[in-house]
Amino acid sequence: MTLAGALLAILRAQIDGRTAEWLTTSIDEAAGGELPRLLHIYTDASRWLGSAPLVLDVADTSRSRALAGIPMQHWAIEDAGRIVFLLTRFDARRDSGDDCVAAAAACYEQGDTREQRSWLRTAGLLPRPELLLPLVIDACRTSIVPLFEAIACENPFPATHFPDRNFNQLVLKALFNGIAMRRIVGLTSRLNPELSRMACDYANERRAAGRPVPADISTVSTGGATARYH
Amino acid sequence: MKIIDPHIHMTSRTTDDYEAMAAAGIVAIVEPAFWLGQPRTSAGSFVDYFNSLLGWERFRASQFGIRHFCTIGLNPKEANNPRLADEVIALMPRYLNKDGVVAVGEIGFDDQTDEEERYFARQVELAREHNLPVLVHTPHRDKKQGTARSLALIRSLSFPEERVLIDHNDEETLPLVLDSGCWAGHTIYPNTKMDEHRMVALVKRYGTSRIIVNSAADWGISDPLKVPKTIDVMRRQGIEDRDIRTIVWDNPLAFFTQSGRFDLSDIDQPEPVDRSKVFESNSVLRGERIVAHHKS
Repeated sequence: MTLAGALLAILRAQIDGRTAEWLTTSIDEAAGGELPRLLHIYTDASRWLGSAPLVLDVADTSRSRALAGIPMQHWAIEDAGRIVFLLTRFDARRDSGDDCVAAAAACYEQGDTREQRSWLRTAGLLPRPELLLPLVIDACRTSIVPLFEAIACENPFPATHFPDRNFNQLVLKALFNGIAMRRIVGLTSRLNPELSRMACDYANERRAAGRPVPADISTVSTGGATARYH
Repeated sequence: MKIIDPHIHMTSRTTDDYEAMAAAGIVAIVEPAFWLGQPRTSAGSFVDYFNSLLGWERFRASQFGIRHFCTIGLNPKEANNPRLADEVIALMPRYLNKDGVVAVGEIGFDDQTDEEERYFARQVELAREHNLPVLVHTPHRDKKQGTARSLALIRSLSFPEERVLIDHNDEETLPLVLDSGCWAGHTIYPNTKMDEHRMVALVKRYGTSRIIVNSAADWGISDPLKVPKTIDVMRRQGIEDRDIRTIVWDNPLAFFTQSGRFDLSDIDQPEPVDRSKVFESNSVLRGERIVAHHKS
């Protein structure tokens, strides 16, 4: 079973008949329609599918293989719908030379907070996710914490694709926002001396300011070299 | 005591804030161009923003008897958007020549990327060409390293250090800045950056030379009265009025006067505030005549 097929089966198990009709029509349109139609459907998922948690029932083993390693337990229903739309579009236009990456980018750039959250949670599942890397790195500049969490937490994208410098900045921003280190997928596989140095400096800065140091900073700060600034 | 708040983002604040600031003794402010909390998608947004800093916001401030100056720059976060950055840099020269623009800024580092460094350096060159000082933002993350890199960049460009204000300092970065010839700004925030009591400790330890404080109030949790509140704490903890005046008046005045456009010499004879004035037929105060609402 394909990833899109497995996700669709999960979706269908928790939507009513009218929504299922909308979903079927929308998948066809997302695959074959012009970009404005795709953007419209991507937005409409908020209303039709909603942000209730996705209920997982992966008893079907062929389905569970397609979904292995995807942290869907943290997704909303709309997240699954949105990635199905994009996956279907990529699949339908595989050989046409159509710029699916640009279409996917437009869904992010023109999205509201819910659309962007879905996009960031699922971007790593699209073909050639490395092409979306600049957009995901830029998205880390957000001041909207739930959007930052959509990238930094329960999402393998940063550990899989980010260069060290961007990964390190993401970890520091997570510490700065009081986000638990255990929520960063693959963190222990990406530890590096520079990250350790940055975390040690951050702990020193907090202590000098008389502020508490996050208890789990030791996950990343151990073994940090002392930096020189002169 | 007359006060300058040399870093505050009034476009995000209300007329109540202006009123309270005036009542607390703030007579002049500098509003640095920065980012809007979310990324802009076209250079046109910068045009409108720069225009509002130079026109509408200055008028709003004047309605409360406050002199408003601004700095113009491409902030480090948005320096990472190559589509936008070059267009904004191309816009800057025509704004840097305008009245009331007293520095290039806020520029500096955010994630400390190569793009940030490139546009930081380019804007320092623009400051040199336009004979303006520079206001440097230091990053939230990896702050000490970012401050050290900023100072190294300024030095490598041979830009005169006395024309550079390094902002948002803390206990870890202040010694680095004071070792250079740059000025050291401190942002007094309710929860992050610096607070009033820590600021007093820094003044007691390092003195008042090249030390500046600001509120950097914006759209986040912040307080436009943090400079007067810091003055209160300084007084309570025994810092002489003479030294306080150095920090909240003489130092920012000396720094921004280097622009040739920060003239407060007639501040003691302010024009009477005429709140019936309109800006492009829009009155902030809806035609209300001056009524002081001093808070007790």
